[in-house]
Amino acid sequence: MIHLYPKKEFDLPLIAECINPDVFQNETCEKIEQLKIWEGNSQKKLGELFKVEENQTASQPEKTAITIYGDMSKVRKIGACMQNGEIMIQGNVGMHLGEEMKGGKITVHGDAGGWAGSMMKGGVIEIHGNASDYLGAPYRGSSEGMRGGKIIIHGNVGSETGAHIQNGMIKIYGSAGQFAGFRMRKGIIYVQNDCGGRAGACMTEGTIIVGGLLESVLPTFSIEGVRKKAKIEEDEVVESPFYLFLGDLTESGKGRLYVAKEKNPHLRIYERLL
Amino acid sequence: MELLVKNGFVYDPLNGIDGEKMDIAVKDGKIVEKVNERKAKKIDASGMLVMPGGVDIHSHIAGSKVNSGRLLRPEDHFKDFEPKTPITRSGVGYSVPSTFTTGYRYARMGYTTVMDPAMAPLEAKHTHEEFNDIPIIDKASYPLLGDWWFVLEYLREGRIEECARYVAWMITSTKGYAIKLVNPGGLETWGFGHNVRGLDDQVPYFCITPREIIRGLCKVNKLLNLPHTIHVHTNNLGKPGNYVTAVETMKCVEDLALENKPAIHITHCQFCAFKGDDWRTLESGSEDIANYVNGHSHATMDMGQVIFADTTTMTADGPFQFALYELSGNKWVNHDVETETSGGIVPFHYRRKSYVHAVQWSIGLELALLIRDPWKIFMTTDHPNGGPFIAYPKIIAWLMSRKARGATLKKVNPRARSRSLLPSIDRELGFCEIAIMTRAGQAKALGLKDKGHLGIGADADIAIYNVNPETTDPSRKYKSVRRAFKQAANTIKDGKIVVNDGEILKHVGGATMWLDVQTLEPIKITEEMKRKFKEYWTVEYENYPVTEHYLEVSRPITVKADV
Amino acid sequence: MPVVKAVTCPVCGSLCDDIELTIEDKEIVKVKNGCAMCESKFLNYNGKHRIRKPLIRKDGKLVKATLKEAVRKTAEILAEANYPILYGWSSTSCEATRVGLELAEEVGGVIDNTAVVCHGPSLLSVQEIGISSCTLGQIRHRADLVIYWGSDPWSAHPRHIERYTTFSEGRFERSEWRGYVAKIKASIGRKKIESVLRRLFLKKKPTVPSSYLEGRVCPTISREGRKLIVIDVRRTKSAEMADYFIQVEPNKDYELLQAFRALIRDQELDVDKVAGVPVEYLEEVSDAMVGCNFGALFFGVGLTMSRGKLRNIDAALSLVRDLNTRTKFIIMPMRGHFNVAGANTVSTWQTGYPYAVDFSLGYPRYNPGETSVVDVLMRKESDAALIVASDPVANFPRKAAEHLVENPLVVVDPHMNATAHMADVVLPSAFVGIEASGTAYRMDHVPLPLKRVAEPPRGVLPDEEILRRILSEVRKIKRKKQVAAEAQ
Repeated sequence: MIHLYPKKEFDLPLIAECINPDVFQNETCEKIEQLKIWEGNSQKKLGELFKVEENQTASQPEKTAITIYGDMSKVRKIGACMQNGEIMIQGNVGMHLGEEMKGGKITVHGDAGGWAGSMMKGGVIEIHGNASDYLGAPYRGSSEGMRGGKIIIHGNVGSETGAHIQNGMIKIYGSAGQFAGFRMRKGIIYVQNDCGGRAGACMTEGTIIVGGLLESVLPTFSIEGVRKKAKIEEDEVVESPFYLFLGDLTESGKGRLYVAKEKNPHLRIYERLL
Repeated sequence: MELLVKNGFVYDPLNGIDGEKMDIAVKDGKIVEKVNERKAKKIDASGMLVMPGGVDIHSHIAGSKVNSGRLLRPEDHFKDFEPKTPITRSGVGYSVPSTFTTGYRYARMGYTTVMDPAMAPLEAKHTHEEFNDIPIIDKASYPLLGDWWFVLEYLREGRIEECARYVAWMITSTKGYAIKLVNPGGLETWGFGHNVRGLDDQVPYFCITPREIIRGLCKVNKLLNLPHTIHVHTNNLGKPGNYVTAVETMKCVEDLALENKPAIHITHCQFCAFKGDDWRTLESGSEDIANYVNGHSHATMDMGQVIFADTTTMTADGPFQFALYELSGNKWVNHDVETETSGGIVPFHYRRKSYVHAVQWSIGLELALLIRDPWKIFMTTDHPNGGPFIAYPKIIAWLMSRKARGATLKKVNPRARSRSLLPSIDRELGFCEIAIMTRAGQAKALGLKDKGHLGIGADADIAIYNVNPETTDPSRKYKSVRRAFKQAANTIKDGKIVVNDGEILKHVGGATMWLDVQTLEPIKITEEMKRKFKEYWTVEYENYPVTEHYLEVSRPITVKADV
Repeated sequence: MPVVKAVTCPVCGSLCDDIELTIEDKEIVKVKNGCAMCESKFLNYNGKHRIRKPLIRKDGKLVKATLKEAVRKTAEILAEANYPILYGWSSTSCEATRVGLELAEEVGGVIDNTAVVCHGPSLLSVQEIGISSCTLGQIRHRADLVIYWGSDPWSAHPRHIERYTTFSEGRFERSEWRGYVAKIKASIGRKKIESVLRRLFLKKKPTVPSSYLEGRVCPTISREGRKLIVIDVRRTKSAEMADYFIQVEPNKDYELLQAFRALIRDQELDVDKVAGVPVEYLEEVSDAMVGCNFGALFFGVGLTMSRGKLRNIDAALSLVRDLNTRTKFIIMPMRGHFNVAGANTVSTWQTGYPYAVDFSLGYPRYNPGETSVVDVLMRKESDAALIVASDPVANFPRKAAEHLVENPLVVVDPHMNATAHMADVVLPSAFVGIEASGTAYRMDHVPLPLKRVAEPPRGVLPDEEILRRILSEVRKIKRKKQVAAEAQ
């Protein structure tokens, strides 16, 4: 198990793709210290910025587990493209956490910046604080969103959560900003609390479940009926009446938008159509 | 500076040199008889190929359309980048590379001259501004004139000579090099969202047909004595059954050809060699086209080879691009240019397993192999429409080796494989034929007297490739050939060594070539023209031409016209 | 008196190039053909806010310096910075931006243009949807339906309607100017009659009729000829001229656009009203959209900066794209600064990306939100800044402006603007398009030459030249550093 401690408070943005269990594996501490990290426009060695400690335990004999202690909110691309192993961050973390991740697990005991789990293909990201915008969304111009894996957020998230998601699951136990599941193609997004407007805009398939207040439903969704419960995964079902909307009509979509009935009295006007 | 390239196997088809072991002497940027061997810098090319620098007759590398393509596709760039070095500028690549990267990547493959085939005259300054930022290679551009209102109106009235004068004015004002026609008549029709369906379909409001436009501009081309022929992107491009249109297009100027000289260049022919009624019944029309071309001497063409990759299609053919959007559902850019032309962009992924794409791949190679005379068909991908230009070495391997073709054929859609003509074609090109298709033939078709050969007085643009023709059988060892053409051992531009083993040694600015077309009487700007200008365009007449300010390295070529 | 013809106006994105200037004693004394903004620019550019000498901050005060000192100081600031930003570029020439990009690459900085605070979202959406567009002449010749959405051309692009759209004379479509005059006359006449009737019979206060709220479709929507529709949150000057005006509830543009998208696909909506507008009126308008021969949708900052930002544009681009399966339709952003399109264009050809380009890793990287200057400043990441022809202190969010002035700041500008007042080095520059030539790109990407029609103040150079000098000075410093490092 490798422990990293930042040696200072970072002001400049850092690009640290090398903080990745796949890279650390089979390397000595000395080699890890030599890895390159960009700080602003200069290239530094990991050892210049972080104190590196190795801690061999029986359960984690190899360097496939990394724990980082401290504020990493300026550090980007941690765990990008990782396939195996585990990263734990005790503190906040910067943008592009676990970008294009294929496997393994990242846990953050703090907040995460934008594009966490961007273009993710597999593995798990769990964030105990909040996450910013574009959670699980693709890079600019791309429609290749999240393809698999699971993202769990215990706090709130920004806007455009799960844009272009093609598969996989995003669970948010707090609230979400607007445009959750924008241009969603498949997969599941669950928002336990409130959700900003325009959820599911331009979605073609997939499911969005909103357990709290949904500011407004887009006019291009049509009401399908009222359902008693909504299933998130095999062992997680929310029992409470939901309005079920289908959309988005603009894309001739068949996406399913569940909105908790009790929390959304303003949607009662749709009942006349049932 | 003097330079001596020693002991290479020289392939210089225009001068009849076919793999002879000899030295090439260079002085002040030109090929010379000999240099002082003691003073000259020597390059040891023993065991290597020495060829003139590569010439690309058709590659979209600059201008408003290309730049819209760049803007459209951040996801295409972000994993393919080139960091700054003490010598080179940084940039991004893949299907629509940034300007600096474009220059470097061409130079690394031993290319030194590239023609951008589509310049909207109104936006010509943009093309030239980008040319200034494309290092090393020499460039030129073809203004799009097939749907220009002046052309349509004067040709309709049969006023060929006046039309020719306006075309001369336009080529000189836009600092262009040749007359480009794209889906003639179709682009004006696209102004209201429609298209023409064939050579004899009328262009709405203009009472003229594509046939009349093509013939008219072919005559204009002759009257002006332009070095290249008309450069034609046919009607019905990208539609099943369009090989008929391609053959008819060549036929329609048959009688205008003189003394066996080419009169027309059909560009990216693969895209207009489709047989069949729809996409399901699509077949190759390459045999019909090859038969026609083999029997006639007035047409040249380029392949427009498809590469299995994610690329960005861009043409001035607005309606074609819209059809491609409808087919693929990908993002779509349209850009119509007032009184002149249009344009469109759609990202496109050619997949091995797709029947249509695999047939297209096969058609390009069939054409190149079935047309017997390599001086008639040139190697292009219509970059980036069939695929990015960095794939040229792959095509060279396919052309030189049956085995290479077989290896790819094995992996493509089975139905397309079973219908492909490739297994029945034994022809394998030699280095001399490759030299023709990638430089000598292209330079000849373009009328570039100082390019594409290594004779005395030619520009000292030389490519050296690390493959030994005596010991390497390209048919079997196609992979080493591919590797050699991917990274030139040396590229020499204007007598300067700019590339060594694929590494850029110098950032030099390439020249912009353009035609200074001199009519018998200097072109007068009549009141009528000024009036029309005000009516037709939204810019002032004074602000329209591209001034020399826009050409950092200007290389005018004077042409004396017959009108 | 010499008259210079065909001058390109360096004010807004319409880039009118038919301006005639009369020059007397090297001064512009008369402007012909221009709008009020144009006249004011050409006649008053040389006002009292003009900077005439380079300034360097010493002991908290800006004091005069030589150009060489100021360039040297600037180069030192940039060469030493670990994450500098280079911002502005929309009010200068493409030639200057070209050097600016080289400088940004050399110092490993973030280069961004003012698109980031206006049409940046539009570019992001174009990257997702594409755009069906054309040059402005195409609209002049062909458009029989013109829509302005969240944009008030009458005030912000005064000659846009007259030169390029409804009131311009095209090959296939006539100007609607006469019709408009007739309409105004009729409306004045009607108002007179109405007021007479009121005074005679009703004697009560008139209610303001708004065509849609009154429950009646404006009859002109179905008439022949060119039609003008304005969609905005308030009744603008342009709306007054329109054949049809839709007042959209603030921040509900996205819903309205999506509703149009569904309607042109002949989908039924569950709701009766969208964004405060009854669906039946939307149906009328969508019929007009589908029924036209050539439609054009122009959108302004009212759409890009209302709630939903880039997704509003996403919907607008999608709407126009979808309309192309039914008829011909194009869409165009109403660019504000005269050369913001040029700044995007040059940036794109050199780096592949239109704005917000980060060179800190030695190659271009792009991700607005991450590499855009406003966000960099909000996160307090930059450590120096070069501002060219822009005034971010006046325009940026306060937090961003605060971080900007906390770090070394260089301003290259003809005017002593708010940012220059806070700067550490101020380099006066010539007015591009008046005192310096160059190239600018119109909102439809047509390049036009900018003319030099007057002399700049003595010793004042164009942006391009200033930047070249800074660049060469930066290279000198870096070379020295390298030599020193090698000697060690």
